[in-house]
Amino acid sequence: MAARTWRRLFDDRLARVAATALGCAALAALLAPWIARHDPTLQPDPVALRLVAPSWEHLMGTDPYSRDVFSRLLHGARVSLGVAAGSMLLAATLGTALGALAAVVGGWVDSLVSGLVDVLIAVPRLLIVVALVATFGALSPWWLVVLLGGTGWLTTARIVRAELRENLQREYVLAARALGATEWRITWQHLLPAVAPQVAVAAALALAAVVPLEAALSFVGLGVQPPLPSWGNILLDGADYLTSAWWLVVFPVAAITGTVGAALVLADRLRAAIAGEGYES
Amino acid sequence: MTRLILTRLLQAAAVCAVVATSVFVLLQYAPGDPFAASLDGTDVPPSVRAEWRARYGFDLPPVERFTRWAGALTQGQLGYAPSQHRAVSAVLADAIPRTLLLVGVALALGFALGVLTGLLQARHRGRWPDRVLGALTLGGVAIPEFLLGLLAMTWLGARWRFFPVAGLASEGDVTAWPLWERALDHLWHLALPAGVLAISVAARVARHQRTALLGVLSEDFIRTARSKGLGEWAVLWRHALPNAIGPVLALLGLALPSLVGGAVLIEKIFGWPGMGLTLFDALLSRDYPLILAATLLASIIAVVARALTDLVAELVAPRRARTS
Amino acid sequence: MRRLALALFCLAAACRGRDAGSAGGTLIVSAGADAETLFPPLAVGNQGRALIELIYDKLADIGPALNTIGDAGFVPRLAQRWEWSADSLVITFHLDPRARWHDGRAVTARDVQYAFGVWTDSTVGAAQRASLATVDSIVTPDSLTARVHYRVRTPEQFYALVYTLIPLPAHRLAALADTALRDAPEVRAPVGSGPFRFVSWTPRARLELAANDEYYRGRPRLDGVVFSVAAQGATVAAKLFSGEADFLEQLSPPDFAQLAAHADVRAQPYGGFDYGFMQFNTRDPRDGARPHPLFADLAMRRALTMAVDRATLVRSAFDTLARPAIGPFSRTQWTADTTLTGIAFDARRAADLLDSLGWRVGKDGVFRERNGRALAFTILVPASSRPRVAAAVLLQAQFKSAGARVSLEQVDFNAFLDKQHRFGFDALMGGVRTSPSPRGVREFWGSPGPGRGAQNWGRWSNAAFDAHVDSALAATSTAAIRAQFRVAYQAAIDDAPAIWLYEPRMFAGVHRRLNVGTLRPDAWWSGVADWSIDPAQRLPRDRRAASTP
Repeated sequence: MAARTWRRLFDDRLARVAATALGCAALAALLAPWIARHDPTLQPDPVALRLVAPSWEHLMGTDPYSRDVFSRLLHGARVSLGVAAGSMLLAATLGTALGALAAVVGGWVDSLVSGLVDVLIAVPRLLIVVALVATFGALSPWWLVVLLGGTGWLTTARIVRAELRENLQREYVLAARALGATEWRITWQHLLPAVAPQVAVAAALALAAVVPLEAALSFVGLGVQPPLPSWGNILLDGADYLTSAWWLVVFPVAAITGTVGAALVLADRLRAAIAGEGYES
Repeated sequence: MTRLILTRLLQAAAVCAVVATSVFVLLQYAPGDPFAASLDGTDVPPSVRAEWRARYGFDLPPVERFTRWAGALTQGQLGYAPSQHRAVSAVLADAIPRTLLLVGVALALGFALGVLTGLLQARHRGRWPDRVLGALTLGGVAIPEFLLGLLAMTWLGARWRFFPVAGLASEGDVTAWPLWERALDHLWHLALPAGVLAISVAARVARHQRTALLGVLSEDFIRTARSKGLGEWAVLWRHALPNAIGPVLALLGLALPSLVGGAVLIEKIFGWPGMGLTLFDALLSRDYPLILAATLLASIIAVVARALTDLVAELVAPRRARTS
Repeated sequence: MRRLALALFCLAAACRGRDAGSAGGTLIVSAGADAETLFPPLAVGNQGRALIELIYDKLADIGPALNTIGDAGFVPRLAQRWEWSADSLVITFHLDPRARWHDGRAVTARDVQYAFGVWTDSTVGAAQRASLATVDSIVTPDSLTARVHYRVRTPEQFYALVYTLIPLPAHRLAALADTALRDAPEVRAPVGSGPFRFVSWTPRARLELAANDEYYRGRPRLDGVVFSVAAQGATVAAKLFSGEADFLEQLSPPDFAQLAAHADVRAQPYGGFDYGFMQFNTRDPRDGARPHPLFADLAMRRALTMAVDRATLVRSAFDTLARPAIGPFSRTQWTADTTLTGIAFDARRAADLLDSLGWRVGKDGVFRERNGRALAFTILVPASSRPRVAAAVLLQAQFKSAGARVSLEQVDFNAFLDKQHRFGFDALMGGVRTSPSPRGVREFWGSPGPGRGAQNWGRWSNAAFDAHVDSALAATSTAAIRAQFRVAYQAAIDDAPAIWLYEPRMFAGVHRRLNVGTLRPDAWWSGVADWSIDPAQRLPRDRRAASTP
């Protein structure tokens, strides 16, 4: 069943476009040192070359410290996408594990996990992350992965729990149980593969949520530490110059919006593929 | 039934207790205290700081501090917020109505706009209005909200002066205005923050609404309605929408807790000191009584909202009810 | 009879009209932070000080020349006049008999005495308590005479008293315990003696004052003053540019760039008392008993200072809105000396010095190391301060070219203060707002010990500096004070406890409809009572509701 879903997704033109876009972004991040023409932290002349408009030499202009924005955007993709991908994986794993635990064990474990999810979803995630950053101090990207992943599992857990509970009533599960399989074995061998597409949807949504969150964290000054570039702190450097240096805003925003948009489209198409629909046109 | 409600309540209370405790434990490790900034003056001796900490119970062992706080809570006292020099309840009484108003208006506006957009897209599915609106709604979800806020403030507010930049109400003899004028003035100041929030809500809702409508439109009863010669709008409005509104209402249920959680960066940018900004400030000034009270309140609202959503979902899901 | 009444009414209306011509209008100040308190002894931030000094009058105010020696230039406020005893150990203040609290009660000598008691009560935690340390007592021979007895004579004894002490309404507050004052409702809605009276305070949003019609020195020309608070820097400026506010204390470089697009806003310079620096921790952050592995060494501090091109740094971070700092003072202070010789930027000499210290460029060709240990340290930066962050990012790159691997630790302000107070840092981006008096230098740069160095977070100590500051503060002639400070400043510059980076030039953003006089560098708000709003440019928001005194 899950295999059919993946097949349908692969045949979906829009999904292929979105996946290609994400792939290109990831490729750009991986190849950043070879594509970028400047050192992203180099300040060649912070007075004369500060806030220079895009030109052939600086494709996306320079920032207030005379650093090349194009190079920073490429290297920033490594940090931003790396953090996003890492925290997405962590969130998906945590969410699946906790969701499965809640669904399979049930009882008070279930009510605790689902209650926790309800409550944590209610508090703005930025506040939770700010609280954690305030507590643990300035963050390395690795810590950021842990924090963002550790706060991003809620939706995944909710979806996995709901799907598993529905699947637990299915005939094949009842049959397996009748054959003497343990709950965990059934979960591992049958249920989780069956809900994998849904987990993928949740993961794509988690990715879509975490990229703007990194930007917001940078915006309040508590994101990735300088001089390491991230899309968020490039945007922060530009936030002061909204009316004068458009290139500091347009390009990072395009990168963020494009990535998030692609992830959302992918999630959408995946959902449609699960439901067995083609592209409605 | 009573038993069920009772267990639900107990579970909810347990969850809230777990959240409050973990927030408290976390705060123990946060460096600084609410007095750091105000005692940063030149000549304040360390003894004063110790004294102030003692006065608000910041010097007690964590366990005792927590039990004291919880004890006061059972008597309905939320404690004192040292960073604001006033009772926690007074702080919350100021902040909650503001957030209710901001998020309430944004949600109402956003849902209306989103549902309409979704309908329009479904009506013209696959053709250019659908595609244009689809791209717009995708962009609306994907663009960081705070950036939209900054742009709106800088251009619509400061540069072109279409809307007030920030603040709760106009200056001047506002208190002498008739009530309705003051209400309008309040809404006028909400234009940018609520507008920005509404755009992002509308984008999300529209995407859900479109998908839900398209799902319903492929069903048999729609075909029947069409065969009766009903116009496309009538089909959409009278038959499809009632059956496709369920998921969108569920989305509303998910958004309800943000009525209390607030919208942190939008409140910060537009100088609207609601719950989001208050909590943000409280976090940065390590004002734990305020943080605890606000989180606890948010948790309670979340649990209640969840229960309500479940109930509403049962009520407005005729299709599911029919099949089960 | 009716005609007479009508004539009278017209006359009254005409009078009102003429009044409205010269006076009226509400000043809206766009503020970046709320007042942390309205209780004078506890005010440390600028917003709080501004509001407090609009609500309360002092005994006398410092003159436009900002002289702090003796009483030259000081202008009478609550004290109509004062006289010195022959030995200068007693100053007798004669209060203005017209002075009234906003509730109508007369301001008396007891209010001065009471305020002194509150200020010096250690449980209150008054920020400037040490300024009053030389005052022994205040006695009140009669209700309009306050006699201040000093323990010792100091050149700044008059300034230290009147600049710090603000008479408080004893009839309202004396019944409360001193420890209860911080949170008392009477303090949240203060009754003062100044040109404006308190109207309302919506925390984190706005604070409103109205003209004090009964002000003993004449009613202010403005009808009211509103401090309108926004938490986001960009918003604070946007309110000025949108015309929602009339005044902004300080324009940042990005704000300056926007001025051209807004013809109705202008920038007005007014000096400023700030200077910014990167401070070295001379002790080990993990163990205060041990010296810092890098920065205890003067040669290392000097080498790093030489590696910093401050002119470029200041130009990039501030454009023309700051000048490179010279030493532990601001150019606006009267003891400032611009002829001192600083450690000049010289990349070559910095490299040679580091080489001679054994720090050689390693295999990567960029960073230096010694005995396998990298030349690396961390700079602590408060994330909330854009100028300090910008300077830190520029410094980091400059240190890299000198071969030092520097990481930045950007934390929220509370965590910053906490680490500062625990001395838990290698280096930090610091900033000091000094006062007209040069005395503060002892708190910030004096060796840690009694009476000095309370805010010396780098724990730098230099006996020569201390000695010269002490003799400067004890000297009586301005020439002698200047000479001693010159030596002390030079000692601090040579011993490099910090890299002196920038001195912002303050530019207020002022709406053209607002007429402000000159702005005093230490307190832009000092002349607000004389500010006015052009009657032709009044806005609907200048209308005020019928006041409720």
